[in-house]
Amino acid sequence: MDLSRGAGTAAASINSLLGDPRKRMKISKGLITAAGEPHRRIPLQTLVDSGGVTRTVLSMLVSEVLGSGVERVCVIVPSGEEAVYAKAAEGFGDALHFLPQDGPPGYAQAILRARGFLGTEPFVHLVGDHVYVRGREGNLAQRVVDLAAEEGCCVSAVQPTHESGIGRFGVVGGRPLANRRFIYTVDSVLEKPTPTVAEECLAASGLRAGYYLAFFGIHVFTPEFLEILERQTAEAPEQGATVSSALAELARQSRYLAVQSEGRRYDLGPKYGLLRSQLALTLNGPDREELLASLVELLSIHSAPDGRPSGE
Amino acid sequence: MSNLVDRITAADETLRDEPLSRFCEGAGLNELIAECRALDAFRATSENLYQRVRAQLFLSAIYRYYLPDLLDATRGASLPYDGVQLLLDRRFEEAIRRFQQVQERDGPSESIASALAAAYHHLGFQTLADQVRRSVRQVRGNRWMFRMGHPLDHPLTIHPALLESASAGYPLLAEATPVRMDLSHSGWSDIFFLGMDYPQGARVLNVSIDLSVRGHAAAQGAGVSRPRPPIQTFLRVIDEPLLRLVSVDLKAQADLTLVDDVFDFGRDHLGLLKAAVIASGLIPAGLEGCGLALGPLLARVIGKPGHGLELVSSVNNIPRGSRLAVSTNLLASLIALCMRATRQAASLTGGLDEKERRLVAARAILGEWLGGSGGGWQDSGGVWPGIKLIEGCLAREGDPEFGISRGTLLPRHRLLGPEEIPDSARQRLQDSLVLVHGGMAQDVGPILEMVTERYLLRSGREWQARQQAQGMLDAILRAFRAGDIAELGSLTHANFSGPMRTIIPWAGNAYTDLLIERVRRHFGGRFWGFWMLGGMAGGGMGFVFDPTAKEEASAALGEIMTATKRQLETALPFAMDPVVYDFAINERGTHAELLNGDDALLPDDYYTLCVPPLLRQPLSSLTRGQRHGLEVFGKATRTQPDRAPLAAVLLDHLLPQEAAEREERHESLTPLLASLSFDEGLHETVRTALRQGRLGLAQNSLPSAWRFEDVSAEEIVDARRPLSPAARAIGEDALRAGAAAVLTLAGGAGTRWTGGAGVVKAINPFIHMGGAWRTFLEIQLARSARSARQWGSRVPHAVSTSYLTHGPIRRTLEETSNYGYPGPLYLSEGRGVGLRMVPMVRDLRFLWEQTSQQLLDEQKQKVRESVRAALVQWAASAGEGSDYRENLPSQCLHPIGHWYEFPNMLLNGVLRTLLAENPSVRHIQLLNVDTLGASLDPDLLGQHIDSGAALTVEVISRAVDDRGGGLSKVNGRIRLVEGMALPDESLEYRLSYYNSGTMWIDVDQLLTVFGLTRQALADPGRVSRAVRETAARVPTYITIKDVKKRWGHGQEDVFPVSQYEKIWGDMTALPDVKTQFTIVPRKRGQQLKQVSQLDGWLRDGSAAYVESLCDWG
Repeated sequence: MDLSRGAGTAAASINSLLGDPRKRMKISKGLITAAGEPHRRIPLQTLVDSGGVTRTVLSMLVSEVLGSGVERVCVIVPSGEEAVYAKAAEGFGDALHFLPQDGPPGYAQAILRARGFLGTEPFVHLVGDHVYVRGREGNLAQRVVDLAAEEGCCVSAVQPTHESGIGRFGVVGGRPLANRRFIYTVDSVLEKPTPTVAEECLAASGLRAGYYLAFFGIHVFTPEFLEILERQTAEAPEQGATVSSALAELARQSRYLAVQSEGRRYDLGPKYGLLRSQLALTLNGPDREELLASLVELLSIHSAPDGRPSGE
Repeated sequence: MSNLVDRITAADETLRDEPLSRFCEGAGLNELIAECRALDAFRATSENLYQRVRAQLFLSAIYRYYLPDLLDATRGASLPYDGVQLLLDRRFEEAIRRFQQVQERDGPSESIASALAAAYHHLGFQTLADQVRRSVRQVRGNRWMFRMGHPLDHPLTIHPALLESASAGYPLLAEATPVRMDLSHSGWSDIFFLGMDYPQGARVLNVSIDLSVRGHAAAQGAGVSRPRPPIQTFLRVIDEPLLRLVSVDLKAQADLTLVDDVFDFGRDHLGLLKAAVIASGLIPAGLEGCGLALGPLLARVIGKPGHGLELVSSVNNIPRGSRLAVSTNLLASLIALCMRATRQAASLTGGLDEKERRLVAARAILGEWLGGSGGGWQDSGGVWPGIKLIEGCLAREGDPEFGISRGTLLPRHRLLGPEEIPDSARQRLQDSLVLVHGGMAQDVGPILEMVTERYLLRSGREWQARQQAQGMLDAILRAFRAGDIAELGSLTHANFSGPMRTIIPWAGNAYTDLLIERVRRHFGGRFWGFWMLGGMAGGGMGFVFDPTAKEEASAALGEIMTATKRQLETALPFAMDPVVYDFAINERGTHAELLNGDDALLPDDYYTLCVPPLLRQPLSSLTRGQRHGLEVFGKATRTQPDRAPLAAVLLDHLLPQEAAEREERHESLTPLLASLSFDEGLHETVRTALRQGRLGLAQNSLPSAWRFEDVSAEEIVDARRPLSPAARAIGEDALRAGAAAVLTLAGGAGTRWTGGAGVVKAINPFIHMGGAWRTFLEIQLARSARSARQWGSRVPHAVSTSYLTHGPIRRTLEETSNYGYPGPLYLSEGRGVGLRMVPMVRDLRFLWEQTSQQLLDEQKQKVRESVRAALVQWAASAGEGSDYRENLPSQCLHPIGHWYEFPNMLLNGVLRTLLAENPSVRHIQLLNVDTLGASLDPDLLGQHIDSGAALTVEVISRAVDDRGGGLSKVNGRIRLVEGMALPDESLEYRLSYYNSGTMWIDVDQLLTVFGLTRQALADPGRVSRAVRETAARVPTYITIKDVKKRWGHGQEDVFPVSQYEKIWGDMTALPDVKTQFTIVPRKRGQQLKQVSQLDGWLRDGSAAYVESLCDWG
């Protein structure tokens, strides 16, 4: 009997009765990919975090991963830049391990580069070009790790995203899990879909019209996922597999969950991404009032270029 | 309990499919009225869309066809103006309530029944159209386009491959799309409404084909052209911040810089490209009215500020009306192209997968709705490859249609591969079928509406024919599978002559019947059958031959069609000369490729259209992209032999040519004017008055201080009741004595009949009666023949003509020996013409903004308003009040009104001859050529003689569509008033009676009015003076008429033009003309002004009534 494909709560309770070893899957490793073009320098950027401390993006991400209970974190960095990245993530002692992406480029290849480090264990994975603002739930990675450990399967954090923004993310379609708020069984995954395709294949009930569940940048992946990714890459070396295509296959053959995060992710890549991220972090921290005062001052000084009062 | 409501809601199909007629024909008045109440209550509360619509159309049919026969015809009732106004404004529910109030108050009458019939009819079709629109918006993949409201939310980005530029130019994405032909559509079962209500009956066998026009390439000096996908569309990034749309075949190009420009469909000939841009999501529908510039939006999509897109369409010389769904497939091709470019399709090049094809089809439906046109659901069949069976689908849970309609909006396409239809069978079809365009480009819209109505009413014979048509499809499929093309030809032929023409008699016409007969005579047993393509015959058609005859037939058909067209072109609206196609089955469907560098070439005609404006600018002012485009083109003309002639063609386009052509047109018009009675002095006087504002639409009206009152039946003669036996005896005696002649007015252009196509309405074979196609004139003469036989006398019949109609009528009468009419026949030639003028903007605004008009469905109305804005601009730029000369000479002239048609008989001596040869004639019945039921009735003639009136005018009680004045007491005197002479529109609906156009004239008394006698007719000078002086006593009106201008391959534009006219009915206003008025039944008095009236005329018994009055020659 394959309990992993049953409904969540039912499976969980049966598992607890049977003492299934998959309950409380242990997740002790983390992976951050930070070598991707064209934003490879982003993790090195310095921002002021929600606590008012000035630090690099990489440092913030490592904190998030370690805060989820993970013991060791591997960071994939551009070849030859290990030292620069190590410096950007000082203060974490031996928990960090830097690996250069000296093979083929690409996101999927970056993950596969860590195959040796990861072995056959599940791991938590964060992308290197996002920063996160926490909601009430505290550590964002923690929730994903807990759910994955409890359900014994891959879990991706997702955020409802307006259709105008889904072209920048992987997007999942799925059904809400019975009696589990904000948790979905994933049916389909597509990388950077258009709304045209999203409407057809990526509907998720319970969302506002025009919103889809886009990746949040935090996942827990199982070895099964790595096997699929590896196989797909081997089968189509020219086109190269994508993380989304491997996840799509995973969703077809195994239980794969998505959890809607209460926090917010900020993509540093797009135009003004860094600025928006900084604003979001500060508005969520002790310097909020100071920032608002600065913004008001700026607005009053700079009218719109066409002479209209700002704000119109 | 209501019998009809039970029928609509019955679970049992047998009861549900019972024809409405079975109940209505046996029902009494009270029973029908009770049913109407029950149906109205049912349709107001029913939640089931199709049951609601069926109830609405039941109501419409009862009020139109069954109730009037049971009513007391003498019961008058005027129509409430506010109700009519609500009807025109498409506020159908309110209009129905208003008409019901009047019916409750005054009791049922013919007038109110006509208004209720129209309102329910419109409401039914509006409900259906709304549902299709909702379904299109709800198709998954389309919804987001309606939600998007701000450019910053635009979610699409251009495919990076389109930005890879090796030099200054960007790659060109090219899509090639076949068109489709259908072997059988099972009785138009692909109409959305049918497919959604009756999915199990909706089946079409549809084939994607490539085409070339036979002989076209040879005519262009380019050897033999092979069939290729007739539709090609192209997209590329350009280094200008705008959207450039180019239609190569329509020779139109526009640079759009505002989002709102994209939604302005009627402004130019690029409406279809704009609809594609919207329906593809490139500029989503939600952005309509945002008022923003396109530049930033395009920069966001393309990811490069200062850049834009160019979209080019080209159709391979396939004329309009081909019945091959060219426009839908062109739309689909453009949509597929834009979807690929914005990464909405998985592959940039190659074919599409099934999901994508379905989405393209759904978006093509959306595009058609946006552009104000409409097709069936099989039309985008060219997107799919090869041969497919398209079938309606039952709506299931999860479909947006579930719970609303039985079927889904989109059908299922099942590709029939070689295992089902072997390659040999495909080859045999190609070896036997000759595809043609017969030259007619008719609007198939009314036919689709008729089909829907008959389906919903389950009209007996038609419903059986529908079942039969479904069996036909299976038989055709079997024959095709077996490769038995002879059988297939005989089946398509039987399908056309059987079920198709049973459901819609108008699917064929005199032209196609003649063609079939001639082809059969020429090829005998080697002609295997006719094949009606698409919605109706006359345009695209197929002829199936023994393969040994195909080559010969392809050549002969061109000649047969051309000769037949020449014979009929003055009688039927042809848009172009017929053509024969070469065709091949296309096995790959729509297909794209990416062209780079020197291969990134557009069709030749693109360059002849777009290069001359570039060459007129200094090179330094061109963008890098434009310069690069010119270089690529220049290189192609130097290195590619087939492009070499382009240089010379281009030079031709650079040299001033249009002026010479215009001069040529003017030169042929001027001698024509000289050869006719064109009064240049009068023309200039009218022009000056028009420009000064002394003449114009607003000036047509009588003083508003005058009193206009309705006339009651008691004040005039009511011939709907029995007249006195004494009067009848007088009439019978007069008829026996040969005292009556007939004058049929046939000088008019019949603008409304063919939408300004310039066809002679009198000889238009419009109805199959007595075993043959009959024309208006033939029916007129057949009626006189019957009277002559009945009364044992001669009935002299005169036909008045004009410059436009005389030649064709004379020729037709010669060829048909006066249609076998045994009596004396006179042609009274009218030579008076006016020259049409470009209208005053003031008059256009008056016509479109200040007079009531039927509002169209939302999107069509938008298109209409956009077209009108363009026409106002045209009038202003062409010069208000200037001569209209930009058309064929005959389309620039106009008859100067039917007032002159009787006086012309005086001027040209025809009356004198008629009276000399038939001295017993005392009275003339004058009637329009389209008044078919007005026989030489002894009661009416006797009453006329007995009254001693100079004129007896026949009027009918007003129906809702009777617009244009009526019978009124003006300042106490009863007379006819033209609609345009009424100072207030609402007055018209207070007038209970409408002019039928038929008059009885006492010849001698009328001559006296002209100041003449029978003897004085011999004095041309005196006659001419008399006519001039009498003409001066009646007013001159300015009117605006539509005139078609034909161009390209079967394309037509309609222009409004100003002309002036005098109206015969104004004779009733002259105080010295003793006039009386008689109310006659509608069947006698109604006129056929528009083709859309025909179906009702046939179905309500009017046609049978007319036939009963005729003796065929």
